[in-house]
Order: sequence, then structure tokens, then C-alpha cells
Amino acid sequence: MSSFLYLYRRILVNRIKKALKKPVTYIFAIFIIFYIVMIAGSFGTMIEEFHVDNAESMGVILSILIFFLLPSNFISYSRRKGLLFRKSDIHFMFPAPVNPKMIIVFKGILNLLLNFLLAVFIGAMGIIYFQAGVGRMILYVVLYLVFENVLEASTMILCYGNEKLPEGFFKGLTMVCYALMGVFVMVAFLMLMNRGFSFENVSEYLSLPVIQAVPIIGWNIAMIRLIFVGPTTLNLICTVLFILSTLLLFLLAFRSKCSGEYFEDAAKFADDYAELRANKQKGIVKMRMGGKQKFKKAAVEYKGGGAKAIFYRQLLEYKKSRFFIFGFNTLISLIVGVGIAVAAVMTDMAAELNENRIFIIPGIMAYIVFIFSGYATKWSQELENPYTFLIPDSSFKKMWYATKMEHIRAVIDGILMTVPGAVVLGLTPLQIVLIILLYICLMANKLYYFMVADLLVGKVLGTVGRSMVKLFFQGIAIGIAVLAAVLGGIFLGVEAGFAIMCAATLFLTFLGALIAASAFEKMEVMD
Amino acid sequence: MLEIQNLTKRYGKYLAVDHVNFVVPDGQVGILLGPNGAGKSTIIKSIAGLLRYEGGVGIARMNSRSMDAKRIFAYVPELPAMFEALTVREHIEYIRRAYHSKITDEEVEALFKRFELEDKQEKLGNELSKGMMQKVSICCALAIKPRVILLDEPMVGLDPAAIKELKQVVKELKEAGVTVLISTHMLEMVKELWDVMFVMEKGKIIGEYSREDAKDQDIEELFFQVTGEHEADETGGEE
Repeated sequence: MSSFLYLYRRILVNRIKKALKKPVTYIFAIFIIFYIVMIAGSFGTMIEEFHVDNAESMGVILSILIFFLLPSNFISYSRRKGLLFRKSDIHFMFPAPVNPKMIIVFKGILNLLLNFLLAVFIGAMGIIYFQAGVGRMILYVVLYLVFENVLEASTMILCYGNEKLPEGFFKGLTMVCYALMGVFVMVAFLMLMNRGFSFENVSEYLSLPVIQAVPIIGWNIAMIRLIFVGPTTLNLICTVLFILSTLLLFLLAFRSKCSGEYFEDAAKFADDYAELRANKQKGIVKMRMGGKQKFKKAAVEYKGGGAKAIFYRQLLEYKKSRFFIFGFNTLISLIVGVGIAVAAVMTDMAAELNENRIFIIPGIMAYIVFIFSGYATKWSQELENPYTFLIPDSSFKKMWYATKMEHIRAVIDGILMTVPGAVVLGLTPLQIVLIILLYICLMANKLYYFMVADLLVGKVLGTVGRSMVKLFFQGIAIGIAVLAAVLGGIFLGVEAGFAIMCAATLFLTFLGALIAASAFEKMEVMD
Repeated sequence: MLEIQNLTKRYGKYLAVDHVNFVVPDGQVGILLGPNGAGKSTIIKSIAGLLRYEGGVGIARMNSRSMDAKRIFAYVPELPAMFEALTVREHIEYIRRAYHSKITDEEVEALFKRFELEDKQEKLGNELSKGMMQKVSICCALAIKPRVILLDEPMVGLDPAAIKELKQVVKELKEAGVTVLISTHMLEMVKELWDVMFVMEKGKIIGEYSREDAKDQDIEELFFQVTGEHEADETGGEE
């Protein structure tokens, strides 16, 4: 055990030392402090406005928290997914002469540490904002820390380290948890729809015997209600049951056999997680973790040589993929498009906004393009391939053909996002085309400015810093384009304003692309 | 002594290792050979306790999953993975504590010197090259002062000086009575080291030789004789 304590202590100290050497840490620290101060300032007012500054409301909020936290914990541990094992753990922790149960507990220490921080936070909130009283909050925090941590550690060992119960049992347990959560949410939804959403109604829902009688989750809620609302026969019985069940689970976990059979699943998870992290660093979002991607058979005719080969190779890879060039973004675009259309129908937006309705879709688009960090796809992988740099062609052409497919994707996404809403809003075909064009320009702008930001600060500021610099440049470009559009709109009409905005974005994007092309000059730049 | 008793491993319906038995006696060097996909890695990972399997693995006549067995067992995986935020020195310190190893600071210094890691002691795990990681991994295994050591493709990524040093280390381990099992494709590298050889194919041991059995026969010849690969290559060449 001393070895794990040493390990964690050194990792923490070294990480802090390393972070203190990076300027980006201080920038983030300023942001976080600013954020906390902002939240703390507005929280009190918000609580007073909603009239929830009392102990009972605190109990309701904590019950909702338990309501979602406990089942999701059960689910993740039952699926052997709740603990983040790394490849280094497989190498150095698993073969070590340490009880495999201890490895589980130490891997889960982060979760337990989070519980501790959450408990302190809850305690402070209860005393400062909810006027729940110091004694009551101390009692809750102590009970939370003892029983929640014992319960979580026992669940980890029983689910993760289990070597007796069949896999089917845990699949069943997962299904039961999902079903329970589904039923709870549905009943709550129906009840609140009928009676209206208010804290009183939520509190009433949580006080239902059927909720508090649910093993462990409901019993835990009963304990919260006992502390914050006051004793009833039901919550007293259920609290005793919660304490007994936690102790029983602890005893079972303590006595259960665990020789390390979970190492195999953990090793598999570590491989998948390493892949996920590597992809995340490249900005690639995979729909699900693990499993090898299956490819179809496909062929492509190369129409041209040099840098064009990059585009055709990408096309071949996309043709082999299950969903071709369509992905998560296509789905989001469709949902947004349909969402705008539904909202337009339900609120009669067209009549209400009249001529200004043309700005609805571009506004939402700009928000999505600006806020979401976006997805790096095959183009970013080209920069990791030495052959990209060896192809005898200009760097600008290489960049263009490496990113050409992204523009095609932007056309499709733009159509999906625009057409449904535009039809409902009654926009003209010219307006629809202009909006789609604008989306393509914005996406191209985002793509090339991302590359520019990476070239300039990628190495110094890391992923988040790079995104912030990209947002900064993008903000300037969009600002200039909007200004040009407003001026064009005032003097030449709405459509002309849109066209000017597209042209301005395109021009600024082109400037960005010229700089970004140097990324395709030498591999070292992006290394 | 390292004993593999009736080891069977299935991945779903796929039988990766089929009732494998072999023994590497005390103070001997065993080599596990076989073409890609033969099941070597599965056996190695099973011995290291990283997989579920049927059958048994004995380390110095103890169940490999027991704490006493783990305390005297070292493992160098094919692909080393360092703790990103731990320095080279801190990796050794972690091992020293985890295994209650009696290795002294002087011995650690000597190890670093042998593998040219003296000036890398304060480097973090994520600052090391592949070869460096392999050297640290080997040093960590040796820091345990094991009685049984398992080396999975240990020479991959090492520079010639480190390979030479590793060979010397294996010889010294053997002299000290440590049981060594090496899984490798680099036959040339283990030529002078081995005492017993196990050749695997399709999840089974298809050949088992001791150095006495082999007499003066070359390790490569022996391997190709058992697997029939060389013969097939030559036939293919003639065609």
C-alpha cells in the first residue's frame, strides 16, 4: 500500500511542478477563479429568487443528485468501465504483489477524492446559501463521506473484481438500473407535467413511499430526507435499511474472492482508453470506445496525380467506411435543422419576426460554428503521414486536397441545417443558397484558422490554448464579415449583405489558408 | 522454476492456446519461439497474470497469483508503458516499495550505469524514447531481484550496447540461479543464451529441445526444421 501512496504522491507533485512551469496554467487559473467568483456571486441571488434558500430545498437538490449519481455508478462499475486503467497500470501495478482489491480501491481513489470535494462543497453551500444550519450540514457531510465512500468502494470491488457471479448477472443489473432510472424520470415527468414544475412538487415526488422504498438508491434519498426534512416512519426505516445494506455490501466486498481476473478486461479498457486519448488529442471523436472498425470493399478512380491523390485516397477510405462521409456532425446538423423547423412551426416565428426571420438560421449556425470545438477528421491525420510531405507538389495544393472533403461535408451539413427551417420560415431559394454558402465559408474559416492557431501556439499553449487562439482569430474574422454585411445590408439590401458577408469571410479564410499551408511544408512544424 | 500446466486460453470461440505444458528449471534460460499469431504473447500475458485462463502457472512451486509468487516474479512486457508523471528514478522507487525489494541505492546506480540511464534519472516517463522506456522497464524488473523473470521481446528498440548488456545480465541471472523465460523472434540474439527451447505454432507447443538435445545444431536450423517454414520458403523459391 505504501507503494501506491508513494506513486500517487509523486504523480501529484510532478504534475503540479510541471503545470507551474507552463504559462497556460496561470491563464486557466485566472479564468477558473473568475468563474468561481461569478458563480458564487450570482448563486445566492438565484437561490433567493427561486425561494429555495431552506434546508428542505437543499434536501431535494441532494436527492436529485443521488437519483442520478448512484445508478450511473452502478452501471459503470457493472460494465467494468468506471475505473480508468492506463497502460502503465497494467505494466507496473497488476504484476505487483498487491491485493487486486487494493488496486481497484486505489484506481477509484479519484472518484472517492471527488466525493470528498463534493461533500465539502455541499457542506459550504448548505451553510452559506441554503441556511441549513452548521450541525445539520456537518452531520450530512460526515454521513455522506462515510457511507457514500464505503458504498462506492464496495460496489467497485463487488462489480469490478467479481469472480463468482456470471457476466449475465451484471448485464441484468445494468438493465435494471437503466429501467429504474427510466421509470423514475418518466413518473417524475408525468407528475410535474400535470402539476407544474415547482420545488414543492419535486419534493412531494421524492417523498413518495415507492421512491424511498427502492433498495439503496431510494433508501439513500430517505436518509437525506430524514436529515433535511425531518423524521417520518418511512424515512427512518429506509435510513436504517440504507446503513445496513451499505455495511452488508462492505462485508461482502471484504470477503469476496478477487485474484485479479478483472486484469484482462482492465487491460482491454486501457488499450481502448489509450486509443481514445490519442484520438482526442488529434481532435477525432469516435462514436464508441473499443472494437476494430470494419471496412467495406470499395474502389476509386484516381483522376489526376500529385496532391490530388490525397483527396482520392481519402475518398476511397470514406467509401470503405460504414457511413461514408456522414458522421456525428451530419446527425447534429439534421437535428438542428429539424429543431429549427419544429420551433418555427410551434412559435409561428415567420409571422412574428417578419423580415428578420432570415437571420434565425445564420445566427444559430454562427453559434454552433463558433462555440463547438469541431471535429478533426482525415485532414489532420494527413499531417502525421510522412508521405503527405514527400508528395512532389506545392504545400497549398496539398492542404487544399487534404481538406477538400471537409468542404463537401460542410455543404451537406449546411443543407441539412438550413433547408427544413428555411422551408417553414418561407425563405426564398436565393436566401437559402446564401445561408448555405455562409455556413461553408464559416466552416472553412474555422478549419484554416485552427491550423493557423496550431502553427502559432500549438506547442506552447496546448489543445485548449490553441482553441482559444483559434476562437480569437475566428471572432475577429466573423466580426469584420458581420460589419461588412451590416453596411451592405443597409445600403444594398439583405441578400446583398449576405453575399458581402460570404465574400468577406471567404477572403479572410483565404488569407488564413495561405498561412496554414505552411503546415504542409515540413512535418516538424506540427510535430 | 517456471511451470506451465495445461494452459488453455480462449478469446470467445477462438482457441489461442491449447493445453500447453512446459517447465523451465531453476537457473535455466528458456526461449519461447514461434511465428506471428502462434500464441506466445497470450502465454506470456497469462504467466504474468494479465489474462484469465484454464490450467495452472507455477512460479517457484507456488501459484502465480499468490502474493509470495508475485514477490519474486518480474515481467518485462513487449511494449513498455511508463507512468507519464514519474521520473525514471521514481519508477525504481515505486518498484522497491511495491515488491519490498532489498535493492540498495548503489545497486540502482550500477543498473543505471549499465544501461546508460545515469543522466536520464530525472526524466519523466512521457519524455522517454521507446528504447529508453525499454531500458527502464528492464531496470525495474531487475530491481525486484526476481527468482523468475519473463522477458517479452526484450531486445526490440534497444541499441547494440544495451543488447550486449542485456545478454550479459541474462547470463549473470542464470549464474545466480534465476529462472528466465524469453519470448523472441530474434533468434540470433538468444543463440548463446538458451538452455531449453519451446517452439509454438497455432496455440500448441510443437517442439521442445534442451541444449544437450540440440548438440551443435544451429538454433535457426532447429526452428525452421520444426516449423517447416524454411522448407516452404525454399520450395516457394524454386517454383
